[in-house]
Amino acid sequence: MVNELDKFFNPKSVAVVGASKHPHKIGHVILWNFMRGFKGKVYPINPKDNEILGLKAYPRVTDVPGEVDLAVIAIPAKFVPMVVEDCGKKGVKAVIIVSGGFSEIGDRELEDQVKEIAHKYGIRIVGPNCIGVFDAYSQVDTLFMPRYRLERPRKGKISFVSQSGAVGSAILDWAATKGFGFSKFVSYGNACDVDEVDMLRYLEEDKRTGVIGMYIEGTRRGRELYETLKTITKKKPVIAIKGGKTSSGSKAASSHTGALAGSARVWDAMFKQVGVIEADDIRRMFNYSRLLAEQPLPHGRKVGVITNGGGFGVIASDALEKHGLTLAPLEDKTIELIRKHVPEYAVVKNPVDLVGDADANRYEVALEALMQDKNVDIILVLILFQTAGVQSEIIDVVANKSDMKKKPIIAFSAGGDFTQMHMKMLEKVGVPVFDSLEETADAIEKMYQYAVYVGNAE
Amino acid sequence: MGYIEDLALLKEYGIEIADTKRFTLNTDPAKIEEKFEFPFVIKVEGKSELHKTDVGGVKIVENREDLQDFIKHVKDIQSEYQIKDLVAQEMVNGTELFIGAKRDAQFGPIILFGLGGIFVEIIGKPVIRLAPITKKDAETMIRETKGKEIIEGARGREPVNKNKLVKTLVAVSNMIVERGDIKEIDINPIIGNSKHVKAVDVRIIR
Repeated sequence: MVNELDKFFNPKSVAVVGASKHPHKIGHVILWNFMRGFKGKVYPINPKDNEILGLKAYPRVTDVPGEVDLAVIAIPAKFVPMVVEDCGKKGVKAVIIVSGGFSEIGDRELEDQVKEIAHKYGIRIVGPNCIGVFDAYSQVDTLFMPRYRLERPRKGKISFVSQSGAVGSAILDWAATKGFGFSKFVSYGNACDVDEVDMLRYLEEDKRTGVIGMYIEGTRRGRELYETLKTITKKKPVIAIKGGKTSSGSKAASSHTGALAGSARVWDAMFKQVGVIEADDIRRMFNYSRLLAEQPLPHGRKVGVITNGGGFGVIASDALEKHGLTLAPLEDKTIELIRKHVPEYAVVKNPVDLVGDADANRYEVALEALMQDKNVDIILVLILFQTAGVQSEIIDVVANKSDMKKKPIIAFSAGGDFTQMHMKMLEKVGVPVFDSLEETADAIEKMYQYAVYVGNAE
Repeated sequence: MGYIEDLALLKEYGIEIADTKRFTLNTDPAKIEEKFEFPFVIKVEGKSELHKTDVGGVKIVENREDLQDFIKHVKDIQSEYQIKDLVAQEMVNGTELFIGAKRDAQFGPIILFGLGGIFVEIIGKPVIRLAPITKKDAETMIRETKGKEIIEGARGREPVNKNKLVKTLVAVSNMIVERGDIKEIDINPIIGNSKHVKAVDVRIIR
């Protein structure tokens, strides 16, 4: 089953049905996407043109000379069944139906027709009424949003399964802008065939997926979803945004996908029971996923804080306590070591205040000391780039310690363009950076809870 | 299926129940005293709509006189309320808890747990898990319960027997999974003390 879904992400050839010369048409955008990065063969399918964007076009899928691994359909709903039939005859086993106008508007019949044809030929279908698939590695890209409007993210370990195309696209754009690495994305729409359970099972085995994010409103396979998530969380963290928890949200969800959102309290219980981390919104979802994607799990909840600004050390302490974390009591040898490298007037305790004239060297000493301190489970580095002493080398200093993957290292910083540039660089080398200590502590708390769930921490 | 039969079903699943027996109205009080030590609870069994407390149909009896007064009162109101039998039950002291189970439309059988009796409205929503649960799940549920300090023994109260509570939660979760004929199980209260966790009242909806 897992191999069947692989054609959606790693096809050798793709047919774009509804490909068009007109720049604003969905079929045009999708074709253009494939031409920009996809290395396999691309076949535009359109009965009117025999050439689109420099590629030879064919009237029907059955006219394509070579094999077609994947077909992406973006034409009016009423024509879709006959195209799926063509795909069947051609031997296409994976079809993405971007087109809307099926069960979500109340037309079950048309959707059932498509299902029947697919079943007859052994075709797996994603959709209808979806934005389909994006894969940062293979560059499969069925999203009908042009790249200048919706940036695509760079390669990474986070994969995302979404019941909503809108939420999904915002997530990709967000990831791209912030420089977060991404792996596979799928918006499954009406799920007439492939649903969230199928996709989750696929991502469970996917070597390029380290963390799974999901946006879900309702499910038709509650028990299977529960069992599937239970198995997955033992291997990889899963972070879920649940839509439709309030009665108004629930009603909105109902008209959105025609699915019942179900009782919010039972969903909460289910997620808790299987170790799924729940995020209140997209921002938090990314906070948790990039932390879990880049850093090792802690063995406890004692945090060692390093700062070059005392005030932020105070805010950090408050935030950590609020989230059930503690300040690690530093060993004597740690304090002695750090004391040798800070001015006499600096007080060495936790948070470790390296004071305002701290440079990359001082940070290195403190980081190394906390890495060696057996009382420290998690390291939180607060870096204020506003002072002239903090050179850009600090990126290497923190990255080097982070690369050892011995203890999780998280960074916090706040400021204007100069700071933002450095934050983005840190993020790129695998050190998660936050600009809010409340969000930092919240993310660490969730990481710790997951560590407890999988038995890595007490 | 009466309430005594429902209690018996719980017992089949290894759940402790308060000793409960049915007697006819004409039973010699001495026979009741043979089976139950004072003080114990005595109540009437009649139409299901009958609100026992409103008509003086539930009483904790401390001695023979109490018992005789109660029986006399019940005989007086018998025809008016179509009372059939008497039910005597041992008194169980401890912390009142609530255990429920039902079938969720999306996820199937679920189990609910929380403080019961007078605490129900104050403490708030119960903890939920999908059934069947493991012992570990049950332990987590107890840790998550609002007011768990009361279960652990606060303000001079005995702590509730943790092992027995865990076993009971697991047993109820198995029951809702195995018994396809049952729609809902409502055990309120189930009373826990340091030695036992005994169901005192149960409603099973089929």
